[in-house]
Amino acid sequence: MLWYKSWLETRWRFLIGLGLLILSAAATVAVYPQVVKLLPLVSNVDVSGQLGRQVAESVALSRDYRGYVWSSWFRENLTRLWTLFAVLLGTGGLLAQSAGGGTLFTLSLPVSRTQLLGVRAATSLAELLLLAFVPSFVIAILSPAVGQTYSIKDVLVHSACMFIAGSAFFSLTFLLSSVFNDVWRPLLLVLCVAIVMALSGFVIPSVAPYSPFRVMSAEVYFRREGLPWLGLIASAALSVAMLYWATRNIARQDF
Amino acid sequence: MAEPFIIETEDLRKNYGAVEAVRGLSLQVPAGSICGFIGRNGAGKTTTIKVLLGMARPTGGHARVFGLDADSENASVDIRRRTAFVSDDKDLYGYMTVAEMIRFTAAFFPRWRADLQQRYLRTFELPLDRKVKALSSGMRTKLFLLLALCRGAELLILDEPTSGLDPAMTEEVLRALVAHVASEEMTIFFSSHQLAEVDQIADRVVIIDRGRAVVTGALEDLRENFRRIQLVFDGEAPSPTFHAPGVERVWRKGRVLTVLSSDGSERIVDEARSLSPISVEVVPVTLKEIFLETVLTED
Repeated sequence: MLWYKSWLETRWRFLIGLGLLILSAAATVAVYPQVVKLLPLVSNVDVSGQLGRQVAESVALSRDYRGYVWSSWFRENLTRLWTLFAVLLGTGGLLAQSAGGGTLFTLSLPVSRTQLLGVRAATSLAELLLLAFVPSFVIAILSPAVGQTYSIKDVLVHSACMFIAGSAFFSLTFLLSSVFNDVWRPLLLVLCVAIVMALSGFVIPSVAPYSPFRVMSAEVYFRREGLPWLGLIASAALSVAMLYWATRNIARQDF
Repeated sequence: MAEPFIIETEDLRKNYGAVEAVRGLSLQVPAGSICGFIGRNGAGKTTTIKVLLGMARPTGGHARVFGLDADSENASVDIRRRTAFVSDDKDLYGYMTVAEMIRFTAAFFPRWRADLQQRYLRTFELPLDRKVKALSSGMRTKLFLLLALCRGAELLILDEPTSGLDPAMTEEVLRALVAHVASEEMTIFFSSHQLAEVDQIADRVVIIDRGRAVVTGALEDLRENFRRIQLVFDGEAPSPTFHAPGVERVWRKGRVLTVLSSDGSERIVDEARSLSPISVEVVPVTLKEIFLETVLTED
């Protein structure tokens, strides 16, 4: 029944996220014919500066459907929206509920705090898994509607990388939620961290290869250079460490 | 072997930073008793209850429930499996309906009493399909009580069960509790600062003040042993030192010397006669007076 409670507490965040991501995925596929029509018009784009280079790169990628999907969906829309919902699903929990959310009732149940947190984290991670995979499958399913195909293998690899690497944002929010007794501070702090990470790769190109967003979008896989194993293992290890730390924090907490 | 004491604390201490919420509390609650845990606001009642249920960790001393160490995470789960709890905030999950709340809670307790659930749903007239957040404070208290009473628990811990309720609702809740205890074998430990309700249902009391137990015992014994001895003199009352046991407090006002005893009156009266008072009057003391006198003594 703890699963049920966690589901009830997170379902709207999850369902809104799923709805938005599916719409975004469908829109990504639907606008591809227009993008193809517009490509000749942007062939003379000024490529000076970081922004110009990025626009030129996107234009170049969009000339082929696989490149377009990776660039528009996995690198841009999915990464941004998924990160936002990973942070949203990481907020809440026992400490944030201690001011009027039935925390004492929960703590009076014959379950350990580790179990309470474990179920809460597992529920949100399962939802994040669906948020990574389901909308991406929508891309593969809708692609024939615009006369294209998208490989299921690519969907699986990109979605798995998104989930594994991006879970670090969820775990960081979960950890901060075991420190602060409101939902806002963890939410804002992790969003700030994510924005700083995204901008740092843009402002300082030398740090871009180390960006977690590159691992999330599986850029090396897209460029047919294998899988970002190091990034995935590091992200997974970091996530596990932060979840463990959150559990220890709550186990020591007085309510 | 059954534990003689369901709850036992020994020199229990709990600090929140520099604040000493519980300062060496020692108490024992025998099996089958209804123990009122009385104290002023901030006396340490809620903190003690939280320690007993593993919601807060003691700074020092020991707390045992069913003979299990409340500070151990595993034992604490076992304690909560055998204990029902009604918190003073009466906060439940606002997003669940009454029916969902009942189904959710029942899943954790293998000895859940479906018969009692039906009975209390009728008695308390709880609307099954209404969301908890839409319930009035009184209805929420009743739901909380239902969720506690149906667990098939051996121990019921209530923290200010009637706080925020109007007198009619308070009476209804107390009646339900008394009726429940009359039909089920269980121990009740309930905190309150409403002395009338403790007097109404408790058979034992622990008076806590500033984190320490200042009076503990069977209510009947307290009523039997606590006496106020009033001595009137024809001049200014003397300020003697009594050697008889049980002298809790002595105070003078003009010609009157009053002694509060927790161990009967005979020996004090014998000792007082040597002071040649013009009159000696011994009066029984109510729980309210015991509480006020002991707490005021602490002041």
